[in-house]
Amino acid sequence: MNPQSLLPSVPEFLAILPEISLVILIVAVLAYDRILKPAERRRVGLLAAWGSIVILLITVGLWVLFREPEPNRSLVESLMWGGMIRNDLITLIFRVMFLVAVAIVSLISLDVPALQRGEYFALLLSATIGFSLMAAGSDMIMLFLAIETASISLYILTGFLTDDRRSTEAGIKYFVYGAFASAIMLYGLSLVYGITAQTNIYVIASLVAQSGAIPPEINGLFLLATVMIVAGFGFKISAVPFHFWTPDAYEGAPAPVTAFVSTASKAAGFAVTIRVFAAGALGAPNFDSEWWAMLVAITIVTMTLGNILAIFQSNIKRMLAYSSIAQAGYTLIGLVALTPDGSGAAMFYLLMYVFTNVAAFGVVVLVSRETGSDDMQDFYGLSRRAPYLALAMLFALLSLGGIPPTAGFIGKFFIFKAAVDAGLWWLALIGVLNAFIGLYYYLSVVKYMYLYRSDDEEERIPVSRAASVALALSVLGIIYLGIAAGPAFEWTRQAGAAFFPFSG
Amino acid sequence: MIQQIIFIVISFLTLLMGWIVVTNRNLFHAALALMGSFLGVAGLYVLLDAGFLAAAQLLVYIGAISILIIFAIMMTRRLMQTSETPFNNQWVLGGITSLVVFAVIAYVVLQVFPWQPGAQPFGAAPEVPGAVLEASVTQLGAALVSVDQYVLPFEVASVLLLAALIGAIVVAWPEKKE
Amino acid sequence: MIPLSWYLIVSAALFCIGLFGVFARRNAVAILMAIELMLNAVNINLLAFWRYRTPTEPIGLAWSIFVLALAAAEAAVGLALVISIYRERDTVIAEELDTLKY
Repeated sequence: MNPQSLLPSVPEFLAILPEISLVILIVAVLAYDRILKPAERRRVGLLAAWGSIVILLITVGLWVLFREPEPNRSLVESLMWGGMIRNDLITLIFRVMFLVAVAIVSLISLDVPALQRGEYFALLLSATIGFSLMAAGSDMIMLFLAIETASISLYILTGFLTDDRRSTEAGIKYFVYGAFASAIMLYGLSLVYGITAQTNIYVIASLVAQSGAIPPEINGLFLLATVMIVAGFGFKISAVPFHFWTPDAYEGAPAPVTAFVSTASKAAGFAVTIRVFAAGALGAPNFDSEWWAMLVAITIVTMTLGNILAIFQSNIKRMLAYSSIAQAGYTLIGLVALTPDGSGAAMFYLLMYVFTNVAAFGVVVLVSRETGSDDMQDFYGLSRRAPYLALAMLFALLSLGGIPPTAGFIGKFFIFKAAVDAGLWWLALIGVLNAFIGLYYYLSVVKYMYLYRSDDEEERIPVSRAASVALALSVLGIIYLGIAAGPAFEWTRQAGAAFFPFSG
Repeated sequence: MIQQIIFIVISFLTLLMGWIVVTNRNLFHAALALMGSFLGVAGLYVLLDAGFLAAAQLLVYIGAISILIIFAIMMTRRLMQTSETPFNNQWVLGGITSLVVFAVIAYVVLQVFPWQPGAQPFGAAPEVPGAVLEASVTQLGAALVSVDQYVLPFEVASVLLLAALIGAIVVAWPEKKE
Repeated sequence: MIPLSWYLIVSAALFCIGLFGVFARRNAVAILMAIELMLNAVNINLLAFWRYRTPTEPIGLAWSIFVLALAAAEAAVGLALVISIYRERDTVIAEELDTLKY
């Protein structure tokens, strides 16, 4: 065989440099954990946090200094490693999201005693590798391996607290549902391979686009494969009716892990879903496709059910779980608009959601560590016990509810505008109505924090320096994206065009 | 003809063993049936000229995964011997769903690929020179390490296994008594 | 002279037996075994498509190797979680895991 095929070219090497750095960081974290004395345990978390910030700088530096990934590359040039990944702006933006999320989550976990272990941070980082390759993957083999790398790490992280009833139970439930969903998805992917004899989603998309390449009698099989793949993807983004694991896993998992699953994992799921469907690998991306009708139905049910169920929750993590289901519904609107602007708006929404939800869960981590539970009652009178925490939570909730001047308002605005521009004004209307339902329960938490009184108002809630840095960063992100969304939105819009390589 | 008979016998045994896995009251017997089902699947791989995969199936599924499952069953033994019903109360619904799914898959598959042996297309395995099939293992090995094929998924698989390794140890390790 | 559809039907049957197992069994280990059956069905599909659709390129072969690796990883992680929950509350019956219900 040709020895040259064993060596990657420079752009190919640069395309996976962030993942290579993450692998090195995993090894460093595991080795550092071994030589630490028990009293210095929090340093392993600091190493993970700083390491991921350095990798974030490498990723952004490649873009700023070397224009890597080059946005003007043709589709064929941007497909690398034998078509396994596509290094484009989409990949870059999602990588930034994941690295921000893992850095902030490491910062909020490093003072939780049960999580001060090298293995915990190593698994956070291996999940990040999975997410990053999910966003980059353009081949079914690559996508499924990336999804599984991320999922296996998350199953363990969810069940990480082995002496906690709820964490072990959440871990096994997440595992069983997740393995089940991925087996169904794999079966669907194998059918697509059988129909097209190809695995690269862009090659498949161009085959599907040719009339006659897929004869009509195959439609039934193709549709069946699509349904199975939607089940797998829907699980990752926790869309109804594949959401049943979400409340249990979110409630039982350690709160920093919940923050990670609800932001980074969901964003990665969306990266895969938008890439596969917008490319047209499962049927042309237009309003006549069967999958489009299916996704619209899922979008509407997801928003509505998520919001309605969230109202009745008395546990803050469970409430945020249903809220995250509803937020997945809004993001799906960006996908079903099937325009570059819509996909760009969905990416912007996910970017702001990373900051917002990590801030919300960061506060939950600190409060529940003090009170020992996650009841809504713990938040009564929070503004007196910890004014800054209450303020951070206020910004997060306003952003989730979509009230200016926070990022959530801008995110929702772009999503609904993209839907209206695509002619889906009725979908935007359902979204707006849902946003009003959402406001009700987000503002109730604000009411508990600022207006209600509790018996232990004298007890202050201690906030470590690492946690305050993490919360400050997220709140700054929320405000920055809320008042100066221009550059970030322009960036995501440009990336949104890369989702549709075959039109225009 | 001989091939078809072998296929039918192996498939029947595979599915029968699979049925025992999901219905048997005794988990230990279910695990043994699981081994049998894996063996039958390996037989199907041989019929598909994928000898290497059949060997890998024997080593990984029967040699590693089944043994792991049997270990887990013996470690949680006390519960495994209870004689209560193995099914939950939704099993009727589950059975109907599975039957419907099977009917749907079979229907759409038969729409595309014919049932009769020899009918076109795909009524029989395409004729491929024996040398090509024999070279498929070499091809596979080269593909797993070439940059323009599967080296990246191969490396990611190693990260996947590393994560599973770390994770399994962390979760299964007994808590330190303090 | 075995038609492709025969393999696909056997694979579909194995997949649905696994599906039934996941829906109907109460024991977490049994559910895990059913999921392994489903992954085997996927592998039959992949190898049948390899032999009938792309016999000269090792796509299906490479893919099924990765599914094999995944199955091993899933079994290890799943059983570790089962052991952890058993140690904690002496049960692996799915219905009895109900702390997280309201």
